[in-house]
Amino acid sequence: MANIFSRSSNWAPIKIIIGIFFLATVVTSAVTYYATPKYLRVGYQPQQPVPFDHSWHAGKDGLGLDCRFCHNNVTKSEHSNVPPTSTCMSCHSVIKSNSPKLAPVRESLQSGEPIEWVKVHKTPDYVYFNHSAHVNRGVSCVECHGRVDEMQTVRHDKSHSMAFCLDCHRNPQDHVRPIEHVFDLGWQPASGSATPKEQKQAQRELGAELVADWKIQPPKSCFGCHR
Amino acid sequence: MKRKSYHTKPTTEAEFKGPNYWRSLDELQGAPEFQEWVDQEFAEGASDLSAPDRRNFLKIMAASFGLAGVGMTGCRMPERRIYPYSKQPEYIIPGVATYYSTSMPFGRENIPLVVETHQARPTKVEGNPSYTLNGGGTNLFAQVSILDLYDPDRARKHHDSKGNFLSSKDVEAILAEKASNFKDTGGSGLAVLAEPSSSPTRARLVKAFKAAFPKAIWAEYEAVDFSNSSKSASKLLQQPSRPVLRLEKAKRILSFDSDFSGFDVHGTANARAFASGRRIKSAKEATKMSRLYAVESNLSLTGANADHRLRLASTNIPAFVNLVASHILVDIKAPDGFSKEQQKWAEKCADDLKSKKKQSLIVAGSNLSVEVHSIVYAMNEKLGANSSTVDYVAATEVSESESIQSLASKLNKQSIETLFILGGNPIYNAPGSAQWSIAQSKAKEIIRLGYAEDETSSSKGKKPTFIVQSHYLESWGDGRTWDGTYVPVQPMLEPLFQGFSDIEVLAHLTSDPKTNGNDLVKSTFAKLTGNSSSRAFSKWLSEGVLSKSEYKQISGSTGDSPSNKDFSPRVTTLSIENLELRFVPSSHTWDGRYANNGWAQECPHPITKVTWDNPILISAKLAEELEDVIPEAWRMSDKVFGQSLNQLVRRTNEFNRGREIAPIAEITVDGQTIKGPLHVQPGIADYTLILPLGHGRTKAGRVGEGTGHDFNPIRRSSDSSAISGATIRLTGDTYKLANTQEHWSMEGRAIVREATAEEYSKHPEFTSTLGMESHSPKLYPKIKDVNTGKWREMTEAEKVKHVPRGNSAYHPPNFTEIEKKSERLELLIPGRTSRDGLFDDDPDNDEVTQTYHQQWGMVVDFNTCIGCNACVVACQSENNIPVVGKDQVLRGREMHWMRIDRYFSNNAYREDGKPDKMEIPDDVQVSFHSMMCQQCDKAPCESVCPVNATVQDEQGLNTMAYNRCIGTRYCANNCPYKVRRFNFLDYNKRQEGHFYEGPLGPSGVNELHQMQKNPDVSVRMRGVMEKCTFCVQRIQEAKINHKAKNKGSGDVLVPDGTIQTACQQSCPTDAITFGDILDEKSKVSELKSSDRNYAVLGYLDTRPRTSYLSKIRNPNPEMPNAYLQPFTRKEYESRNGHGGEHGNNEDSHGASHDEDSIHKN
Repeated sequence: MANIFSRSSNWAPIKIIIGIFFLATVVTSAVTYYATPKYLRVGYQPQQPVPFDHSWHAGKDGLGLDCRFCHNNVTKSEHSNVPPTSTCMSCHSVIKSNSPKLAPVRESLQSGEPIEWVKVHKTPDYVYFNHSAHVNRGVSCVECHGRVDEMQTVRHDKSHSMAFCLDCHRNPQDHVRPIEHVFDLGWQPASGSATPKEQKQAQRELGAELVADWKIQPPKSCFGCHR
Repeated sequence: MKRKSYHTKPTTEAEFKGPNYWRSLDELQGAPEFQEWVDQEFAEGASDLSAPDRRNFLKIMAASFGLAGVGMTGCRMPERRIYPYSKQPEYIIPGVATYYSTSMPFGRENIPLVVETHQARPTKVEGNPSYTLNGGGTNLFAQVSILDLYDPDRARKHHDSKGNFLSSKDVEAILAEKASNFKDTGGSGLAVLAEPSSSPTRARLVKAFKAAFPKAIWAEYEAVDFSNSSKSASKLLQQPSRPVLRLEKAKRILSFDSDFSGFDVHGTANARAFASGRRIKSAKEATKMSRLYAVESNLSLTGANADHRLRLASTNIPAFVNLVASHILVDIKAPDGFSKEQQKWAEKCADDLKSKKKQSLIVAGSNLSVEVHSIVYAMNEKLGANSSTVDYVAATEVSESESIQSLASKLNKQSIETLFILGGNPIYNAPGSAQWSIAQSKAKEIIRLGYAEDETSSSKGKKPTFIVQSHYLESWGDGRTWDGTYVPVQPMLEPLFQGFSDIEVLAHLTSDPKTNGNDLVKSTFAKLTGNSSSRAFSKWLSEGVLSKSEYKQISGSTGDSPSNKDFSPRVTTLSIENLELRFVPSSHTWDGRYANNGWAQECPHPITKVTWDNPILISAKLAEELEDVIPEAWRMSDKVFGQSLNQLVRRTNEFNRGREIAPIAEITVDGQTIKGPLHVQPGIADYTLILPLGHGRTKAGRVGEGTGHDFNPIRRSSDSSAISGATIRLTGDTYKLANTQEHWSMEGRAIVREATAEEYSKHPEFTSTLGMESHSPKLYPKIKDVNTGKWREMTEAEKVKHVPRGNSAYHPPNFTEIEKKSERLELLIPGRTSRDGLFDDDPDNDEVTQTYHQQWGMVVDFNTCIGCNACVVACQSENNIPVVGKDQVLRGREMHWMRIDRYFSNNAYREDGKPDKMEIPDDVQVSFHSMMCQQCDKAPCESVCPVNATVQDEQGLNTMAYNRCIGTRYCANNCPYKVRRFNFLDYNKRQEGHFYEGPLGPSGVNELHQMQKNPDVSVRMRGVMEKCTFCVQRIQEAKINHKAKNKGSGDVLVPDGTIQTACQQSCPTDAITFGDILDEKSKVSELKSSDRNYAVLGYLDTRPRTSYLSKIRNPNPEMPNAYLQPFTRKEYESRNGHGGEHGNNEDSHGASHDEDSIHKN
């Protein structure tokens, strides 16, 4: 009886196995990479109804307003509030009161309807992140939001994945800073001329001191954030 | 495969003998169904998939997967919006709860409250601690009332009698028109039926109404009326007055058919005061605790907590009052007809009351007649109780009103042009004798202020003009507590549906210049206080009570001889042919007003543990007699019936699911008949039928319709609640009752530990000598004190810090302090090694990790817990626990995180000293046991979780991460306390009745309902396990607030008392204490070091953070039903091998259970 399968088909099972293995590796790595917040979120930079420029309002080269001028409840609440229209208008009723870019703001104040800002940073519903717990304990805005004071349009800068949170909760000394510098996004632990390595070392030394002084024990178990 | 059972058989196995607590009649009887039920991980049927069978389910699933492929397009992040305020409202910070004080009108009193709101959305009701008599406690109804605000079936639009919608302006115009029309006639042809109210503003408006319309009829009516005590006091003192009990001063209390610490007026404050008399700090105080005698027909919450309880038909209680009075007062003749034992009971009880002059108190139930009350008042006067344990206060502002009966007869006789019905629901709950629905239709025009389109507004006769009533959380008002303290009713939000309150309607009707609720209250406040400044008003609002505004005490005396000497009630002999009916308010719906409230319906009845229904309660004796008249259809053979009806029905093979199938009976009295299911309940007077009101509503909304049965038609009046001369007939039909009583049985171990006050004072250590752990090697090692070098027991703080690893695959958190390891090695004793987890194994790690700052723990005091269920609903409200419906409860899937177990025990023993299980007893002692997640340090649930979804955290909490949970239910299987709850279906996402339809059914719960949810707690979905979290959201909030307050400092410890769990907050008796165990000065540490402290199932070495204080009873040895040991304890002893010595012989109780006998065991 003639052979139905050629000799080369002896290798077929191994080829198939290798092929499946290769495919599985590619699929797994692709999903791991692309389905993480790092890919899904970081870089998200939606267009806002009012082209509010953080770099001008909060930046060094602009007005240099404190974060809390607008986000005034950040030290009291779990939310860092987006300011009410009236906060915008406390200045803009005088400055640039006729700018067409500010038309939605004036409209909102008149009608009482909110300005529909697009949400950039979204924690899932089952995560109970609390702003006041962080900013009152030496964690600066910049740790999670990046240099907002240098952004013209706010973009999602850090991944906000659970690993990102835990990284800081496990090593708080690498991130905490004196209370008075929490809202100073450009603050550096060592002098400006220091190398990044030196900066890191200075931060670690200062941080360790603060962690001990303030008895910082970031929760590392589920109930810290999920409940 | 048949599951293998590891449960001990209650009676047969000699090696394990636990105490003989039984929780249901079926357990007592050792019914095989019960044993089978126990073997199940969940209540039987709970884990079975029903509705669509498996095959259908697979079909649907296949279809869904197919569709899923088509719909997989939305992989991009959805764009979300932020909507800030346009103008920032005052005090509102998004994410921070705001608390407002208010009060809930409830009959003739208001209950002071503090309400948590999230951006003007009320989410949780709590008691107002500024009202010190309640101390921040509430009753169950205040807790459930918030759900009524979000009732999807509440009325939304005003309409006229033809059903045309009216605007608020139209309503005001109609009211103004009526006002001017009747002005000319002086009000003739005008009648108003209102609910009683404690509001001074309403009293003022009623006065104005009567002045404006002198010929109008003003009638008031309440379905459950507690006014007899006041009526009698007013008669005796010749001015409007009422008694206010001062139970905290009473050492001896006798209650006649009164539920003073439960459903009677001022119940929350009374419960608190009563508990303060029962609270004991040490064995030295034990005999100083108060003693409660109860004579009652129904097993009420008060009776359940009594030291001596006498079952007696309500019909005969007036005679029994006279019997007791014959021992206390002169000129009273003892009535004939009581048995020797009853006479002795009365005599010895009276002696005991007399022995504590000025410290004893007699309380008569509101259902008893005015004459009975006056005899009781005379006895109190004689006992020196007046101005000591009871105060009579002048209840001013009580407006004169006619009864519903006289209004009904006037409606029938004369022509009434316009009838106003302000609130209430008389067509449903007026007593049958009033024939209200006929009377109501005689009125030419009806204007109804109502909260929902109920029976009264949709009667078959005349359709009323309907005005939407606002909820108390959305309207202005005021009121008084029972003792007269002036409290505000403050709105939390604008009326959701433009409703009116009763005072606003009255203001329009009386043409008051001010028609706004706020203005009305302001002017009343100004009048009452003489201070019209807005500052005083604001202060009153913020505190929620006006200090020193309580009613003035009356100096006059009630006299120590009864005014009516001819009042000599006789003893009626009751029998199965002549039964007594006793009406009680429903523990679920009160008089029916909470019928459409899922929380209220699903909260188990405190004694029967029945949900969603109101079965007729009968005694075991009556049940036995009824067996003779069992319908033939139920009989399977001649002699197969058990002792109880419950048992009997089981034999018909209908009772195979762990649910109760109750026989339906017909009750006939005076030619009128009602039907209802029977439930055999120990503790009921022999020939009394207990009929709870408030169910069987025909038009209540989606929740309340079709639950229970309506017994109002055979009632005669709303203030007396017992009638005799009834007969009973079994119809042969059956009815399913959703009863949680058999669920999660603990199979009788030393669960509730009890002793008498006398024994406790002699043997303070008795608690630790009970239970298996007292016979096992020590669970906690002795340690060598680092300072003194002596061996000693570990302190509570040390116990929670040193957690052995147990069988867990995961390391527990390391609680050890920063200290030299070498020093801590001193802590080791021979036999214990570091592998037990006391230390980690790394020899180089000289200084180990830090202690987490605070370790949480809880203590529940069984001596003060009265089993009122307020905590159960408070927990449900705080933690977004879904309502699952009767059908799901029947399958054992109720979701309450906290439950109150209720155990019965009796005093029946066979000749060989073993408990007699053949008879169902009627004279039982009741023990309540609150059970929630015990937050074990060595939690059995943790070690079996395959995905690490439940682990112990650094503060000692047993965490539950919903997102990790994959629903294996291993944890619930392994939990010895059975406190874990599984979301079998999407209770939060699907509408009730559509749970099984999945995505095919209507999606989403009602929008109104969603507004109640607490934003600080996740709403759980199907397939997720959940359980008590110690209110972790409150813990975290308190910690964060404390740190935010002390920013940039090391002050991180939350002060003791700052954190109150929801159950603790609502507890009127302060039975629950929560706090930091590491802090030696905290209240919880203090209680944990008490000699009464113990852990339930402690021998399992689960090391729970929740512990309990044992229960102390205070019997009088002179009494005929005296007991030397609580029944539960006697059973424990008799089954624990000591029984031969002193199970039978009561004389050698307690004392023989000393240290020696334990060590011999």
